[in-house]
Amino acid sequence: MIKTIIHAELPTELTARAHSFVEEGWAADFNELLAEALRRFLESHSTRVTESLVMSDVQWGLHGNE
Amino acid sequence: MGTNDHSAPLVVCDAGPLIHLDELGCLDLLADFSKVLVPETVWQEVQQHRPGALARPGVTLRRVAPLAPPPPALEALAQVLSLHTGEWEALRLALEHRPGLLLTDDTAARLAAGNLGIATHGTIGVLVRAIRRQQRTKVETLTVLRSLKVQSTLHLKQSLLDAVIVEVESFA
Repeated sequence: MIKTIIHAELPTELTARAHSFVEEGWAADFNELLAEALRRFLESHSTRVTESLVMSDVQWGLHGNE
Repeated sequence: MGTNDHSAPLVVCDAGPLIHLDELGCLDLLADFSKVLVPETVWQEVQQHRPGALARPGVTLRRVAPLAPPPPALEALAQVLSLHTGEWEALRLALEHRPGLLLTDDTAARLAAGNLGIATHGTIGVLVRAIRRQQRTKVETLTVLRSLKVQSTLHLKQSLLDAVIVEVESFA
């Protein structure tokens, strides 16, 4: 798998929690944890679903009866 | 229509719509709902990022903490969808106040709400609804929609926003 090195600014407390998570053995390392978190976010925030929800908002806004 | 209209549904509001509507100068649109409940965690979140949104004249926001224990289905969805505490509390509160409406811009929270049988809409829905409820004219709403990417922190793909604008423009 091709990998990319990133530089990111993260909240200190969140980073500390992530490091603790890794140190406790719940993830192989910080990189794996970050990749898994990103993957899960992208899966649960599918652009196709978001677009469908926004367009349903428009229909409700214009034609809804509450 | 009007200040906290009792014919309109009760809404539970997540942080996104509160912040985005305020950024757009449209927080008053919430006054059209019978009650606007803001979960405790969401209140704190908005207080941190946009405190002015909690004190606008003309709209009464009620700061409420959920009382009932969360159902197992919600706990499972929160884990799977990695919901934030605010979204989780908003869902709990919406379950307690059925058949209310949950206002959130978070896709994962909306998916969870759908699974729990809770109706949800987001900032765009409230903005467009203002035309039907005669809170704004179509022209005023289109002006807000066209300024959305500059005036607010609501992240939408430009082509989607364009599609929304076309839909509103074609509304008679």
